[in-house]
Order: sequence, then structure tokens, then C-alpha cells
Amino acid sequence: MIKKSYIISVVTIISFLGISATWVISKANDSIHELPAIIKKVPDFSMTSHTGTPFNQDSLKNKISILDFIFTSCPGPCPIMSTNMRTLYKQYKLHPNLQFISISVDPEYDTQDVLKLYADANGVDDERWKFLRTDMESVKKLNKEGFMFMSESLPAGHSVKFVLIDEEGNIRQYYNGTDKGSISILRNHINSFLKTFSENA
Amino acid sequence: MGVWYIIYSLDMQRYFQFSILSMVFTYLLIFIGGLVRVSGAGMGCPDWPRCFGRWIPPTSLSQLPDYIDPEKFNLVLAWVEYLNRLFGALVGFIILITFVLGYLHFKKSKHVLLSISIAFFLTLLEGWVGAKLVDTILDPITITIHLLLALIIIGLIIYSSIQSYYLIVGNFEKSSNYHPHLKSVIIGILVCLFIEIIIGTEIRGGLDMSRKDNPLIESIILLKMLGPFKYIHTILGFSLLGLTLYLRKIVYDIKFRSSPFMINSVNFIMILIVTQILLGESLVFFDVKPLMQLFHMWFSSLLIGLAVSVFTFWKISLEP
Repeated sequence: MIKKSYIISVVTIISFLGISATWVISKANDSIHELPAIIKKVPDFSMTSHTGTPFNQDSLKNKISILDFIFTSCPGPCPIMSTNMRTLYKQYKLHPNLQFISISVDPEYDTQDVLKLYADANGVDDERWKFLRTDMESVKKLNKEGFMFMSESLPAGHSVKFVLIDEEGNIRQYYNGTDKGSISILRNHINSFLKTFSENA
Repeated sequence: MGVWYIIYSLDMQRYFQFSILSMVFTYLLIFIGGLVRVSGAGMGCPDWPRCFGRWIPPTSLSQLPDYIDPEKFNLVLAWVEYLNRLFGALVGFIILITFVLGYLHFKKSKHVLLSISIAFFLTLLEGWVGAKLVDTILDPITITIHLLLALIIIGLIIYSSIQSYYLIVGNFEKSSNYHPHLKSVIIGILVCLFIEIIIGTEIRGGLDMSRKDNPLIESIILLKMLGPFKYIHTILGFSLLGLTLYLRKIVYDIKFRSSPFMINSVNFIMILIVTQILLGESLVFFDVKPLMQLFHMWFSSLLIGLAVSVFTFWKISLEP
């Protein structure tokens, strides 16, 4: 027969490990799903999407948005950014409350037709991912004042960040759009937002 | 002469004590490693060996270096991961001392010295694999290798520990004799356990992958989508139960004589296998709870240790 004291010590050790682990897991879980604080509101803007529909600050309402600045002829980080955006776009295909927005920083070259081709090349087949354009001055202003990017010479010097915007049009967090680690944190935040979103709805 | 003998034998005992300490701490480390995995803290520090460029992880955003994206900073995850690394370093240090003591006092025993030497070098390798995990952003195959190495290390430490005990106290298995099938059964159990653990990590990795592609879907549904791996895991689990029942039968066979070490170990294996099946099935039928996942993984490492013990007791029983 196994001694009673053995059983008691085994149960004690397992309980101790279990309780400590539960505490760590719940702390970690809370921290992962904690929604980032509001940074600032996206200012008013007015653009046109690759399908020709108008898009402004009100289009951000009642949706969670992931936004980036790109240009279609960009040789550097944009293809990586768009690939990562495309992965998210596909992964969240069942979630119409999440939209993706790519703003061109080279509107002269990126006409509506060019953006349409770029969208097709990225497998965009619904309204969830929009490629937007407006005049260069407005883009520069939105880039700098709206999103606080210190990008000097546009288009080449644009930021590689993805911006998470909540359903009221507030900037909540920036992520490195070329880095898998950052994207996985973005994914956690999207999940938390969508969860609270569906709970509220 | 007598005094020197006592000192010498005390030193051998010191080795035994340290090997037990290594074992206990390695088991704790496996538990903490599993905790890092289930709490999602694996990338808590995006660099290695330092954490956000610091030897003591930052406590606020302002302490982050420029070259690291600030969104990666999560205070809780950084500290969970860093405590795992610190504890890992401590365990590495204890195994180093055990290795040195083994080298000093068990030069003539290749069983003791060779196994602790391999364990020590694998521990260094394990640290390197840990660094690679961060580099590869938790590549699933690297995670599996990280766990398998830990299991091999714990097996070697236990083997070395029991062999040193044998040299210290004499043959405690002298009066035992075992069924001729025992060797193949215990090797069969060990092989099945390793395959089972590899499949288990595959299921875990597959679950993570499909969770990425299907966010916000309950794990329980994702698990059903995983397919054959899950069934093989269950079937192999029940085969292990069958093998253990047979092992228990031959250990209790009155035609043979088993030591209390053997009987206790086999009974523990039995209890753990049944617990594992219950835990595993409740993961499928209820939801995948991180705490249950953690214990499911940790108990499998205890099973490896017990199976290695049974093998070692049997091996020692053959010695004169």
C-alpha cells in the first residue's frame, strides 16, 4: 500500500502547481486580451475606393479597421505588408465587422484602375478590403497629422505600420506590418475587439 | 583508510543528492516551460538572452529600446518568459554541478558518468534551442524538439541517479527477478510514450494553426476538424493502457519477485496513464482548458521518468 503521507504530499504539490499556474494563465490571458487605450481620433478625410465608392471618416464607424499606407509600384516593404494584410483578410473572411484599408501614397500613379488591378492581384473579392486614393496634399496631411507618421519623402518613405482603429474611429494601436510577431499581437487585439463587438451587438 | 572511505562515500551521496535535485528542478522547469506555452508568453521577450535589450525586463514602455516595436511589450508575458529563462539558467547550473560531481566520484561507472555527461551537453543544446525558438517566432517543430530534448535530459538524469544509488547502497534489486517479457514491454511503453508525445505536440500545433485561420471559433470545434492525429493519439493511449496492465500483471506475478521500487513505479505509471486518458478525453469533450493541457503535457514527462526508472531497476536486477 502506498503510504497516506505520500498521497497527501502528491496532492499538495499538484494543487500548489495548479493554483499557481491558474493564476499565471489568467493574468496572461487578461493582459493578452486587454484592449489598447485610445490614442487619438482619426480626423475628417474624404477619399475614393478602388471600386469608385466614396470613403470618409464615417465609413470607419461601426467597424473595426486595419489601415496602412502603401503604393502599388513600391518595391520594398509594401509587398510584405500587403501579403500580411491579405493573410488577415483571408483569415477573417467570416467577419464582416472587420475591414481593411490601404491608402495609396502615390495617387498620381495609383489611379482607380491601377488600384483595382492591385486589389484583384491580392484576391480581394468583397467589400472588406478597400484601396483608397485622394490628392497628394490630403494624403500627406492625413499621414502626418492624422496618423502622426514622421514619414519624410512620400511615397518611398511611408511607414510600414498597420493601424488598428476601433468602431468609433479612434486609433488604438500601431503594429509593424512586416513583422510576424507584431501581426500575431494584432490578431489577439482584433479577436478581443470582435468579441466585445459581437457581445455589444 | 576507514575515514577516507566514509568521505568518499559521502561524496558519492552528494552526487546522488544533486542528481535528485536536478531531477526535481528539471521537472519544475518542464512545468514552467509548459506554462509559458499555454499562457501564450513564448514571445514575451522578443530577443534572447536579454529581454527588450535589458537584463532585467522593462516595467514600462519608456524603457524599451528604439529597435523593438513597442506593441510587442506586454509586462505580464515578458516576466513569465523571463522567469522561465532565469529558472532555466538555475537548472543548467545545478546540472553542471551534478556533472562535475559525477566526473569526480563516478569516473569508473560509465552508466553514471556517461548519462550525466550527455544530459549536461543536451542541457546546453536545450538553451540554444530555446534561443532558436525566439528567432523562429515559436516554430512548431522547434517547440517539439525543445520538449523532446527536455524529456531525454530528464530520462538521463533519472537513469544516472538510480545507477549512482546502486553503487552507493549496493544492489537493491539483488533479490528480484523479473519476467522475461519485462524488457520488451517497458521499451515498448517508452517508444509509445515518445510517439504519443510527438503526436500530442502535433495536435497542439495544429490547434494553434487552425485557430489562426478560424479566429473566435471554440477550440472544441477546431479539435474535431483536426482529423486522424487525434484518433491515433487516443488509440495509442489505450494501447499504452493495455501495455501497462500487462506490465503490472507480470510485475505482480507470484512466480517472480519484484522490488518495492518496481511495484511502486509500475503502480504510479498505471495511475498516471488512467489520469492521462481521462484528461485527454475531457480536453476533447469539454473545452481545451490551458491548465488541463499543461498537466496533460507534464504528466507525460512524469511517465517518461517512471518508465526510465522501471527500465533501470530491471537492468540493475541483472547485475551480480
